[in-house]
Amino acid sequence: MMTTLLDPAEAMTVLAADTELPVIDLVHPMLGFPDDLHFALVDLDGTGQLCSFTSLDHDGLRFLVTPPATFFPDYAPEIDDATIAELDITSTSDVVVLLVVNPGESLLSSTANLKAPVVLNTTNRRACQVIVDDVELSTNTPLVA
Amino acid sequence: MLVLSRRVGESIVIGDDVTVTILEVRSDGIRIGVDAPRSIAVHRAELLVELEASNKDAASPPEDAVSSLAQELRRRTS
Repeated sequence: MMTTLLDPAEAMTVLAADTELPVIDLVHPMLGFPDDLHFALVDLDGTGQLCSFTSLDHDGLRFLVTPPATFFPDYAPEIDDATIAELDITSTSDVVVLLVVNPGESLLSSTANLKAPVVLNTTNRRACQVIVDDVELSTNTPLVA
Repeated sequence: MLVLSRRVGESIVIGDDVTVTILEVRSDGIRIGVDAPRSIAVHRAELLVELEASNKDAASPPEDAVSSLAQELRRRTS
């Protein structure tokens, strides 16, 4: 299915709706981090454009993530059936896509991984890093041209 | 590692659900077909290496890089 993107502010509201810390469960670990399966999503800049995908299994591990809408408004990765089944996705409006950001010294040298986004189902808080089948996409696309 | 020799058109069966077939041998490489259920991910090895490296490179960035990026973003949208 093609993803239509949930507004990040809305996503944060959905995720924070519980009184407990909203835990995101990875159905597959992030590539290279096999022991980290539980994460929290923390808004860093107050607008949901820059968030911390923080591991709850190991202190200190976190990924900087951004919803595609800010820097890549046309980004609409095809989500394969296996992912839809594993995350139990029933509607595209439940899906939040997050891109792992590698911050450089400034915005100009910061990049995002468009090849392997994190896909999250906000209804059950299951997520995984998905490899998108598109040769054009790269792991380190500059945030700004 | 199990090493087998195959000719074009021949296959290898892995487990109950995966079949690998040699489709074509060319001077620039060989074409391999993989028949597997959708639940089994099939990727070029070097892609997984690249993705793992990318994640590791991006993991736990230094605090000052994070705050300066957050600052620039706030400026951008204001």
